[in-house]
Amino acid sequence: MENDKNSQKIVDYIGNFARKHSLFVLAYGTGCGAIEIPATMTSRYDAERFGIRGAATPRQADVLLITGYLSTKTLKRVIRVYEQMQEPKYVIGFGSCTVNGGMYYDSYNTINGLDQYIPVDVYINGCMPRPEAVISGFVKLQELIMAGKANNGEKYRENLEHYRSNQKKIIKNWKMPDYNW
Amino acid sequence: MNIFFLLITILFSGALLVFLINKVAPKIGGIIAFATIALVSFLFFTQVDTGDTYQFTLGEIPMQFGVTPYTYIFAIIVLGLGTLASLYSIGYMQGKKRLGYYYANFILTVTGMIGIIFSQDFISFFIFWEIMTWSSYLLVIYTGHKSQNIGMKYMIFSAIGAYAMLTAIVSIKANYGTYNIADAIQNGAFNFSEHMYIPIMLLIGFTVKAALMPLHVWAPNAYSKSPMAFTSIFSGAMSKMGILGIGLVLASAYSYTDHENVNYVVALRYTLGWLGGITAVMATIYALIQTDAKKLLAYSSIAQLGYIIVGLSTGSELGVMAALFLAIVHGIFKGALFMVVGAVEKQVGTTDMTKISGLIRKMPFTFFVALVSIIALAGIPPLGGFVGKWMLYEALITESNNYFLVIVIFFSSTAAFLYSYRFLFGLFLGQEEKDTEHVKEAPITMIIPMMILAILLMVTGAFPGILFEPIAHGMHYLGFSDVNWDMSILVNVWGEESNMTYINLSIGIVFVAIFAFLTIKGYKGTKNVGTKDISTGGEIPTENENLTYQMDFFKPFERAAAPLYKRSMNKIWNDLGNALEALTDFIRKIYSGNGQTYALFVVIFLVILLLFKDTLFAN
Amino acid sequence: MEDLGLKIFGAILTTIMAFTVGMTYGGIVRKLTARVQNRYGPPVYQNFLDLLKLQSKKTNIAHGFMGHMAPVWIIIAAVTVLMFIPILNGNLWFPNLSFHGDLIFLLYMMVFGSLGMALGAGQTGNPNSAIGVTRGLSQMVGYEIPFVLALVALMIQFQTTSVQDLTQVQHETGVWNAFANPFAFLAALLASLGMFRYSPFDIVGAPAELASGPVSEFGGKYLGTMMSGGAVFAFIKLTLYVHLFFGGAGNPDDSGILATLAGIGILLVKTFLLYMIPVFYGWINPRYRTEQAIRYFWGWPTALGIVGVLWAVFFN
Repeated sequence: MENDKNSQKIVDYIGNFARKHSLFVLAYGTGCGAIEIPATMTSRYDAERFGIRGAATPRQADVLLITGYLSTKTLKRVIRVYEQMQEPKYVIGFGSCTVNGGMYYDSYNTINGLDQYIPVDVYINGCMPRPEAVISGFVKLQELIMAGKANNGEKYRENLEHYRSNQKKIIKNWKMPDYNW
Repeated sequence: MNIFFLLITILFSGALLVFLINKVAPKIGGIIAFATIALVSFLFFTQVDTGDTYQFTLGEIPMQFGVTPYTYIFAIIVLGLGTLASLYSIGYMQGKKRLGYYYANFILTVTGMIGIIFSQDFISFFIFWEIMTWSSYLLVIYTGHKSQNIGMKYMIFSAIGAYAMLTAIVSIKANYGTYNIADAIQNGAFNFSEHMYIPIMLLIGFTVKAALMPLHVWAPNAYSKSPMAFTSIFSGAMSKMGILGIGLVLASAYSYTDHENVNYVVALRYTLGWLGGITAVMATIYALIQTDAKKLLAYSSIAQLGYIIVGLSTGSELGVMAALFLAIVHGIFKGALFMVVGAVEKQVGTTDMTKISGLIRKMPFTFFVALVSIIALAGIPPLGGFVGKWMLYEALITESNNYFLVIVIFFSSTAAFLYSYRFLFGLFLGQEEKDTEHVKEAPITMIIPMMILAILLMVTGAFPGILFEPIAHGMHYLGFSDVNWDMSILVNVWGEESNMTYINLSIGIVFVAIFAFLTIKGYKGTKNVGTKDISTGGEIPTENENLTYQMDFFKPFERAAAPLYKRSMNKIWNDLGNALEALTDFIRKIYSGNGQTYALFVVIFLVILLLFKDTLFAN
Repeated sequence: MEDLGLKIFGAILTTIMAFTVGMTYGGIVRKLTARVQNRYGPPVYQNFLDLLKLQSKKTNIAHGFMGHMAPVWIIIAAVTVLMFIPILNGNLWFPNLSFHGDLIFLLYMMVFGSLGMALGAGQTGNPNSAIGVTRGLSQMVGYEIPFVLALVALMIQFQTTSVQDLTQVQHETGVWNAFANPFAFLAALLASLGMFRYSPFDIVGAPAELASGPVSEFGGKYLGTMMSGGAVFAFIKLTLYVHLFFGGAGNPDDSGILATLAGIGILLVKTFLLYMIPVFYGWINPRYRTEQAIRYFWGWPTALGIVGVLWAVFFN
């Protein structure tokens, strides 16, 4: 997607408009943050009015929502899920833990900084971020999509070696199947 | 030499030759068998006209060979499927033992069926019927010791049928003074008001072969345990011999119009129709719990034969036409499906659906044939199976007044989608397991006959008129005056139609458009992935992890339909057998073999005589 | 040739209309569901946006040929059935092929899509897909029984198997079949609950149990195409019900622009009201297990269907 704002074609514009207003979220409940998702989706905050909707499997999803700390064990699953998603795909890091490790910054089995392993479009900080914050994060993502700046799926594919080396540093027994790519 | 004799002689000598040559050159046995049957088919379709007859006497019994327009329909099934199945046998039987035995019996079975078709009198009919039964029995026990019991069951039921038939034939001679089938019908042999037991005995004989409940219990095992190349004609063609007989008896019975007979015939129609309907339902629900693909197909055969009998029992023009059409189409698709299972068995070594899955990439042609045949079996447009089903439903709704039978049939054919899917999924779809990595596509001699059958199914869907023509002639012979048919338009008596041309056209256009759209759109970004690359909640499936869903496939349905599964005809027959055994045990107590007991019996007899002499000898 | 051109134009118009209406109804249902749950809800055109987004995905995966074909089968079934049902009674703009196929054909053609979908889902190798398919097929055996009983009742009551004629009968007598044979209507109505797959009969998709079941491996253009097919199918089922039981729509004697528009308006009102029945039923019900769903359809709906057939026989 080489569509920075100036050279955005009409097709991309329409496509981005649709992407912006239709975000299928795969809420990956890795940590305690998962408890905020129901609140965001249900009647009080109602994320569906922005076109945000839950997806059951990574094949259908656009947004991978990492809710909370990631242990190294979970990271494997997150990577696989992320790789199974179809482009364009976006990642939202949710909560302080995904930003810098949060309260687990010195834990032996959680990661600090999600974007070393998979590219992150939007971070929502806070512990916990409230549903308002989550929605504002989504709105930020929508702005990025509309501006044509949310093309991290491609970035990941291009810089795969960089990400892989980072991932392999953390995951010692690397058994990711090669049919993913 | 007369053409009929020539054909029968070719077949017999072919069988003999194959049997003898096996000792010298076992490899060419299959080719000879194929050549024999192909030659006979060629001669039959070029030299024989319907209406030709040939009379001769054997001993002092006048006999007659010939082909009527009605039997011509069945000749198409037998010779067409026989030729393809013998071609298929070459590949399928490669590397197996006792090839001479197999091929000789194969040809003999075809001989028996062709003989039945040629026979214009009951004597030769019965002789060929027995040839067919015996040679097929020998093929059922081809695998030897393991299939002994199955063969026994088949033989017992065949014997019941044969005795019933023989009784009827002898009675016809005694009552109507002729062995000739046409004469006997003319004299009213199948008239229910005269000698009701004659047509009923004959029907029992025929329904055994047509696997109608309650005489079907031999079929599932016999169909699934005999070599698949043979099962394709066993189920596809031989069961149709029963249909031939039932159709003949019923159509003749309909033609007598005296009041009493009509009443009986109505009762018979209802009985047969409901038996056919119940057969269809029970066989279907048993088919969908099978885990062996062969057995699944065997039960499905019984169910399909149930539909055909329902069609015959309507006695209306559309219904009988539907039945005969289904008979041919069932021959085609069930022949093809058994060939598919045979190919899988040959290449993989088993047909247990819990053990194999994901063969689609390894055996694409076989899958294609299976797919087309299953679509025809399920009766989904636009293939031949749909044409038959459509006519059957229309006949039942518009002409039979038997509305609840429609529901029974519809239930069975909706449940048939379940086992259809089970078959395709079990063998070809699903996870590709490591055990089946080595599997390759079946040899070309097996693919060709299957492909021909698949193409035939498409053709009969687009132009069912090709089959309507001989069927209409046959029905005319049976006494249905001016049978209407059209090349590709189906019409019922209320005037509603289904136009196969438009249906095919619509499907074709949409197919091309959408397929092109989906393929071209984002072509570069689209890629094919393996079946291990599935979303499993982020977990990475290891190589040995079993992700195949095959066990208890339709468990929810089984739970919902649990009351239906409680009854089993097999159990009833077993109980009957046990009861017979108990009875004979009891009789053995009387005939104990002890002289004193017999003396006691004599004394008791004399005492009774003395006591009741007044009442017994009063006059 | 002009005639043929008009026909093709009519066919394309029909397809576009069916697609638009089906998608919009889906959007309205989402909005209404949201309101029932005291939410604001997505816009009515949300389904179009979802579809557009799915179709503009940059990468797609298929698990082999049948997986690639699955949406194709669905669209084939949807469009073909659409061509063979009357949209407006006797209207010259949308006759399509409605005289060339009858109810039995339509019943079987509808299965075509489901079977294709099932095959595509099967090839993905995802166990959830296969489980979803078996559930769907089992449920189909359930609801087809009362549905067919209702259809048979109608067919023998009016001595016709054509949808067109059944609509015409209602137009002539002025009595809707829903009142001419109330038991058959009730049976068909209860069967429609299963047909539309809203709660409590949403056992096929069942996101929480099966990860959306058969479609769990489909994304991007495949999922989008399936969605379009599903939308067309929703319209088809509704139109079929309206023509069978609610007097149809359109005036056979007048095919002018105004009359046609009025006919479409009536069709939309009737289909929408009918659509609300399974949706309303769904809002207040949790999900059944598969065998419970099957048993449900084999219970009262089937009994009503049998009464409907008897009614048709005796009051013919």
